[in-house]
Amino acid sequence: MPFSFIEIEQKKSRLIFVVFLFLVFFYFFTSWLLLLIVRNFFFAYAFKEKFIFTFPSLNHSLITLSIAFLIGLFHWSFSTSNLIERISNTIDASPVDTKDTYHEYLKNIVDEVSVAIGGRHIEAYVIPTSALNAYSLVDFKDNAVIGVTEGLLARLNRSQIEAVVGHEAGHIVSGDSFNTTVICSLSELYKETVSQLGQATKEFRLRGKGGALILLIFLVLTIMNFLNQLLNTFISRQREYRADAIAVRLTRNPLALAEALKLIAEKWNGSSTKGENIESIFIVSPRHNALDENLSFVSDLFATHPPITKRIDILLNMAHLDEKTLAENIAHMVRVSPVAKAEYKDKSSAKDKRWFVFKRNQWQGPFLLAELKELEGLLPADWIRIEGQDSVHEAFNDDEVSRLFGNKDADKGEFCPCPRCHANLSEIIYEGVAILKCDYCEGAFVDHNKISRVLVRIDKTFLQETIDLAATISKTKLKPESLKRIPSKDDWALDCPRCHKKMRRQFFVYSYPIEIDRCFSCDADWFDKQELEVLQCLYQNKDKFLLQDNINTQI
Amino acid sequence: MIIGLILLVVLVFIVGWVLMVYNSLIQLSVRIKNAWSQIDVQLKRRHDLIPNLVETVKGYMNYEKDTLERVIKARTQAIDASNIKDKAQAENFLTQTLRSLFAVVERYPELKANQNMLKLQDELTSTENKIAFSRQYYNDEVMRFNTRIQVAPDNIVAKIFSFVSKDFFEIEDKAQREAPQVKF
Repeated sequence: MPFSFIEIEQKKSRLIFVVFLFLVFFYFFTSWLLLLIVRNFFFAYAFKEKFIFTFPSLNHSLITLSIAFLIGLFHWSFSTSNLIERISNTIDASPVDTKDTYHEYLKNIVDEVSVAIGGRHIEAYVIPTSALNAYSLVDFKDNAVIGVTEGLLARLNRSQIEAVVGHEAGHIVSGDSFNTTVICSLSELYKETVSQLGQATKEFRLRGKGGALILLIFLVLTIMNFLNQLLNTFISRQREYRADAIAVRLTRNPLALAEALKLIAEKWNGSSTKGENIESIFIVSPRHNALDENLSFVSDLFATHPPITKRIDILLNMAHLDEKTLAENIAHMVRVSPVAKAEYKDKSSAKDKRWFVFKRNQWQGPFLLAELKELEGLLPADWIRIEGQDSVHEAFNDDEVSRLFGNKDADKGEFCPCPRCHANLSEIIYEGVAILKCDYCEGAFVDHNKISRVLVRIDKTFLQETIDLAATISKTKLKPESLKRIPSKDDWALDCPRCHKKMRRQFFVYSYPIEIDRCFSCDADWFDKQELEVLQCLYQNKDKFLLQDNINTQI
Repeated sequence: MIIGLILLVVLVFIVGWVLMVYNSLIQLSVRIKNAWSQIDVQLKRRHDLIPNLVETVKGYMNYEKDTLERVIKARTQAIDASNIKDKAQAENFLTQTLRSLFAVVERYPELKANQNMLKLQDELTSTENKIAFSRQYYNDEVMRFNTRIQVAPDNIVAKIFSFVSKDFFEIEDKAQREAPQVKF
């Protein structure tokens, strides 16, 4: 395996050049074929001339070649500009949010791995879906990106994530991430065109005319599909084995990677990752249908990824372990959540913690945190003492009390009044996500891009009350008539805490019928007390609830 | 005449080969230098974090002054160390003292819950991991280089241009990052 960057550079430019030549050749071939058809059949059909089969002349062929070259150049330059940004958009990925505990955790892992490959800078991205997958991208300017899905972050443990990131880093150092990125972005344009052309043909068919045109379009479609297959053969499937090997060398832990692959294969829930067009950039194909695991020759030829079972076997061989141990290891897997630490902080500020305040030359109190908030004249420089402790400190030095000042002082930050009780919302960390919460009514204001993160994460243990509520809602869901909402004037009752416009009351979505208030200009939802937890519980247990319901109806 | 020509070809071949080996050896040693600077960056980061840590801990600990002093001493030693062997030793000592400091911190629940402390602890752990990874990268490169200058026929070129084997950046705590457990 070449590890020096110079060797990789050389290899890379050679392959990329071949791909470009192939592209031009393909365009030439296609247009020449089209020319042939139009010349021979179309004219005969349109003008009822006598049918004589002729080949296009040399001049025409040369013109076609130059046109093909231009089209190829255009296609190339379009596909290779803003590579990372465009592909990230297709799969909905975005850079890590530094305020998010989980994202910070991922960034740390990526940073560590980037040190392990010799200090090349790698940007960390996240795809907000519950599927388990990871990908890497490298563009012409040598910017490197490693992305993982929220589901992967929430379900794997640290050494497994490290192994997966190591695998992606393996793609980056071995240079095939760059090839894949370029080829994927080239073929992505095709898929787009193919799907749009497909739409067009359908419309034509509906109108029932233009037989020759349909034939033409159909031909183009077939050829383009074929090109996609061919382009993909440029991406060596050996690359996955190679990246696995590099991951093991980086992390010295073949077992963690085997575990990760096994978990990814098992807990797969299909449809959620976009980007089927560009499956080659992922660690496992987002399609992942039966074809991939089928070991026959034909499927092996067209699959973009080697079968996972084969990869796991190789890794287990390296670790001198068998599948039984792997299964056992997974069953007893320990996962220390990065949120656990943050929650420890919350626990230390248990609700019954009380403070004494030194005012008017004497100790007053004890007060609860909520009472302190209401206390007039509490200054950051006042001396306070925690009940049951001897040490005295200034109010601004106390983590919890100092937070009150920020809230009281509306000028300092953005003032976000709770839509229900108009107290200022405070930023708290829920499941590693920074959300706005009201301390009094316990409602929560959450941006849409953050809701998807909350839903995927599984660190929260729900109260029995919440679970029951979610189960009940899941039941009512089955009766569509109960889902009809009667419009009322209360539907526009609450003000958005951020932009102060009216929010509209509606269901979160019809499949999760929880009433929330939605602000359309901020793209955020207001959840009343417990509603966020219920939604999360509902989402994570949807299969379980459905199963229960089925059993109940059968009885 | 023919013999002369053959000799010339052989000579050109040998010179070409020597140049090739020499260049690749130089490339390897440059990579080692780069790997070393990677470690250095992380070590420096750790050295920078320690004064903050000491400042934070100081206020809470009244009876553990010597633990703190040992950390400070270890840090100074680590900064002063010049060659790789000394540096490795000093850094090992620093790791040990830090570990004993964190063991002491466990006894102070208030300190443990301190935001600043939690953040510092996180950063130190992360830096520690990065040191481990960069050391691994460095050692891999050194191993490659050392193997290269010892195997025949490259060792001849290495001898001529006096390449000497480089020191590994070793740690005493072998259990920390070892090859996976092997069962037969």
